[in-house]
Amino acid sequence: MIQRRAGIYLILPALVIMAVFTVYPLLDGLRIAFTNYNLLGNVVQFIGLDNFRQMLADPVFWLALRHSIVLTVVVVFLQFVFGLILATVMQQKLPGMGAFKSIIMASWVIPVAATATIFKFIAQPDVGVINIFLRAIGQGQLVTYWLGNLQFAFPFIMMMHLWRNVPFYGVAFLAAMQAIPRAYYEAAEIDGAGAWDRFRYVTLPGIRNMIVVMVTIHVLWTFNNFDFVYLSTGGGPVNSTEVLPTYVYRLSWTQYNIGFASSIGTTMFLLLMVYFIVYMRIYERQMTS
Amino acid sequence: MKTRSGIRVRTAVLSYLVVLISLIFFVGPMLWIAYTSFRVESSIFTESVLSPANEYTLQNYQTILSVTDFPLYFLNSLKIGLTVTALSLFVSIIGAYGLSRFDVKGKNALIIGIFSTQMFPQVLLMIPIYLVIVALGMLNRVIGVVLGQMILILPFQIWMLKGYFDGLPPEIDDAAQIDGTNIAQRLLLVILPVASPGVAVAAFYSFVVSWGDYLIVSVVSQGNATATVTLAIQRLTASLLVRWGQVAAITVLAIVPTILLFSFVQGRLVEGLTAGAIKEG
Repeated sequence: MIQRRAGIYLILPALVIMAVFTVYPLLDGLRIAFTNYNLLGNVVQFIGLDNFRQMLADPVFWLALRHSIVLTVVVVFLQFVFGLILATVMQQKLPGMGAFKSIIMASWVIPVAATATIFKFIAQPDVGVINIFLRAIGQGQLVTYWLGNLQFAFPFIMMMHLWRNVPFYGVAFLAAMQAIPRAYYEAAEIDGAGAWDRFRYVTLPGIRNMIVVMVTIHVLWTFNNFDFVYLSTGGGPVNSTEVLPTYVYRLSWTQYNIGFASSIGTTMFLLLMVYFIVYMRIYERQMTS
Repeated sequence: MKTRSGIRVRTAVLSYLVVLISLIFFVGPMLWIAYTSFRVESSIFTESVLSPANEYTLQNYQTILSVTDFPLYFLNSLKIGLTVTALSLFVSIIGAYGLSRFDVKGKNALIIGIFSTQMFPQVLLMIPIYLVIVALGMLNRVIGVVLGQMILILPFQIWMLKGYFDGLPPEIDDAAQIDGTNIAQRLLLVILPVASPGVAVAAFYSFVVSWGDYLIVSVVSQGNATATVTLAIQRLTASLLVRWGQVAAITVLAIVPTILLFSFVQGRLVEGLTAGAIKEG
């Protein structure tokens, strides 16, 4: 009994901070979504579902929603695939692999603001290294500001996500692979399994938990990510990279249209909740079968 | 035997190819910006990769450190980062210890609850958080930024540390308990020494998240008092007359602390970050 109470006290500081700075703000945000609140000092009134009606009629919302979903699905899928490749390569016992493993995660630890600056520089039409290279090989007609190009800005932002996260996937998958008992591989080999079969029937099931954790976390992080787009293109050119987080931020902090912004933020929350619940269902069903 | 060694050679060649491409793609851009920070502005614009020796300079760093407010921003980032690290470590360590070792009512719901806050869209929370910060009188104050950043760190940090504590044999607690120690003594003298690799990674995680945070700082900081390095980068690159040499120098200075810390923990980084995920598998 004393033990039980002590446990609660130990968790209490974390719970208080989360309550004040996460749970209460969430509830307040959900409430604001049903008001005409803005920071310009008008009388705050409940306006029912008006914000949501406005949202459904807003083409930028639909554009940003599509971008957010495409970004999340494509980026998480590619990170998963490239992460697996990287992990498989790092698992080879070859000279120099240790040094490679020790530096490869550097891109994950630096500030996203620095990442955005590095890639803005690389994408520049005049001083950017991509365009310098293109001119050098006689493809000068392709030169463009890659982050200011309607067609290429969005893929470029996806690439920046990969740049930051693929090494993390790789190293995490590698850690999980190394925890698989060697005997499983030996048994598979005795059964005549080739390299692909060993990967398919021993490695992949062996790192399943890690895959689940990495994919779940990154779906949430990518869908909610604000700074990649905001710090590299701000959502432009002409909304071509606008995602829901940057749209909500812009509506809140430059147009002060907070009620409307919150209704879109609420929609994001609902979408992620649906994802989470469906996902947990599937996961539990797989666990029991 | 012949085919076997043939496969082995092919695997090695393919592996090194992936290693080479990865180095160019993942490490190259960082080296490129570092290289740029030592070039004079005119040679950045020459379109040639190498310049005459006299066109390399420390001028970009001198300008940033003497003319701009960057040193102030750097110190702010450091102050905020260290405070966040100390506070979040304290809160997460005791919280994770409580969840790992005590029979708390509704424990699973608590764990899922803490983890699911990762699902909350931060942009939706920003205005209410701003209002809370204003109500508490913490606008433009270090404590406001610190408490705001805690929510970015705590859920993952608690999950990570709980996974790490779960991996330590409970017998070491039990033995200490029989010896008549209290919770604080057990945590400080028995658990933490064994868990120090995990704690080091948790500390690294908080510092790096705090150092790289833009969202919270942009909301809580409206003057220079708590403006950080990430705000400085954004302001300087957003200005119309971009001087790339100086921008590169700022970027390098923003990266260096994180890379330095990374070099200390890199060996156990992933083991610590993913303790919860591996243990379950």
